Amino acid sequence: MPDNPFAPSLLLPTQLESHYRAHHGWLAHWLQRRLGNAFDAADLMQDTFIRLLAGPSTQPQTPALRTPKAYLATVAKHLLINHLRRQSLERAWLAALAALPEQHMPSAEQRAQILQALQAVDAMLDGLKPKVRAVFILAQIEGHAYVDIAAQLGIGERSVKRYMAEALTECVLLAPDLPE
Amino acid sequence: MRAAGAGLAGMSAAVPLYPPLSRKVARQAVEWYLLEQSGQATSDDLTASAQWRARDPEHARAWSKVQQVGQTASLLPPELAVPVLRRPQRRVAVQVLLALMAAPAAWLLVRHDLLADYRSGVGERREVSLPDGGTLVLNTDSAVDVAYGADERLLTLRRGEVLIQTRPDHAGSRPFIVATCHGRLRALGTRFTVRVDDSSSRVTVLEHAVEITPRAPSATVRTLMAGQQSRFDASHAGLPTPAPPQADAWTHGMLAAQDMRLDAFAFELSRYRPGLLRVEPQVAGLRLSGAFQLDDTDAVLESLARMLPVDVLYRSQYWVTLAARKK
Repeated sequence: MPDNPFAPSLLLPTQLESHYRAHHGWLAHWLQRRLGNAFDAADLMQDTFIRLLAGPSTQPQTPALRTPKAYLATVAKHLLINHLRRQSLERAWLAALAALPEQHMPSAEQRAQILQALQAVDAMLDGLKPKVRAVFILAQIEGHAYVDIAAQLGIGERSVKRYMAEALTECVLLAPDLPE
Repeated sequence: MRAAGAGLAGMSAAVPLYPPLSRKVARQAVEWYLLEQSGQATSDDLTASAQWRARDPEHARAWSKVQQVGQTASLLPPELAVPVLRRPQRRVAVQVLLALMAAPAAWLLVRHDLLADYRSGVGERREVSLPDGGTLVLNTDSAVDVAYGADERLLTLRRGEVLIQTRPDHAGSRPFIVATCHGRLRALGTRFTVRVDDSSSRVTVLEHAVEITPRAPSATVRTLMAGQQSRFDASHAGLPTPAPPQADAWTHGMLAAQDMRLDAFAFELSRYRPGLLRVEPQVAGLRLSGAFQLDDTDAVLESLARMLPVDVLYRSQYWVTLAARKK
């Protein structure tokens, strides 16, 4: 799952420090190479090490302690993918705004709301099969009828219904519990 | 940006307070929801749905989530949401992710791929040495894969613009190829720039020659000589035109304009700065010439206001409009 949170672990500050000393070199290099940007790389590296510190530990034998390098690499990749997804989303978002006629431009507040909703939906749709995602977008966002979607995608109406249920189920499973 | 990921968008960072919903319950909630949304639910259906929700707190929890998803989706105006959700780049991340999830062995593969992959951020330039001693310079917001194989030296330009300075191949005589989504370029001992846009690619030859082969099998191959430029898409390579002077000015951090329309200039400049740069139609046709330092695009905008009868309006740092000057 794209948003599988890697189990946080509890590290003593001294352990963190020694991990940092041992690993920040290759990690910085790896992230910078991928991002092409020292700024974002430093940010993500920070986040990666923060994950080592964060949260309550549920398992005493954490992966972080047994194989710190593999663990750091996995966390860094997870964060990197999220980062790249967010970056590509922001780029597409700005392009979509630019293409909008001035008189249809939503207010700054609306834009912030829409962007946040988009990020949430984008993350939910991330793991879906292309057809399932296409059905969700056509039905839930564009508001097309199942009949039309079936015709457009060259599939049966029953499949459209099934895909729609599949997409929504994944979204429900990923949706956070709202604070009471 | 990252810090703003609270609420719905911050799911990955959220510490789970509740156990995850069971898939079965989530699916049932979705079925009830879709039935209600279909407008074909009878009053018996609605009663049954309400009873199902009341039967178990987990059912109620799933129901509130499916409503939340529906509401979130309904907040989205299609004209903004559809291009974003359908953007092509999202697939890259998913592919990387799938490869990562597959097995520890896959991570080596991905790693290999990552090493052959160069990117530059917006406003950034990067110079890369190629395995054969050649040079690759990435202009702003660009991405390139480098794959030197047994048969060819292949650069794939995924996004943006590059300058390439080739070197003779010591490991034999493998051709040097640059691929874009529109076709392939074969370097005939040379220095040239390639830029890929959505609808076409553009090649400018600075030294020697380059051969263009559009992707379509029936397309005609065209050879471009030093000082020439051509645009090509998947089916056709355009007639060569003279390359503008200083076509590689960007490699020195300069944007050169010669009698350029303001809208075209703004389009070029916007590649080097994050955010939106709009030009009001009344001033789009104004013309300008000059060489501008790309490392400070705010200063370039300021200088536009001095050169032309325009005002630079900042709605935010990331949203700038060039408008006719108010008297």
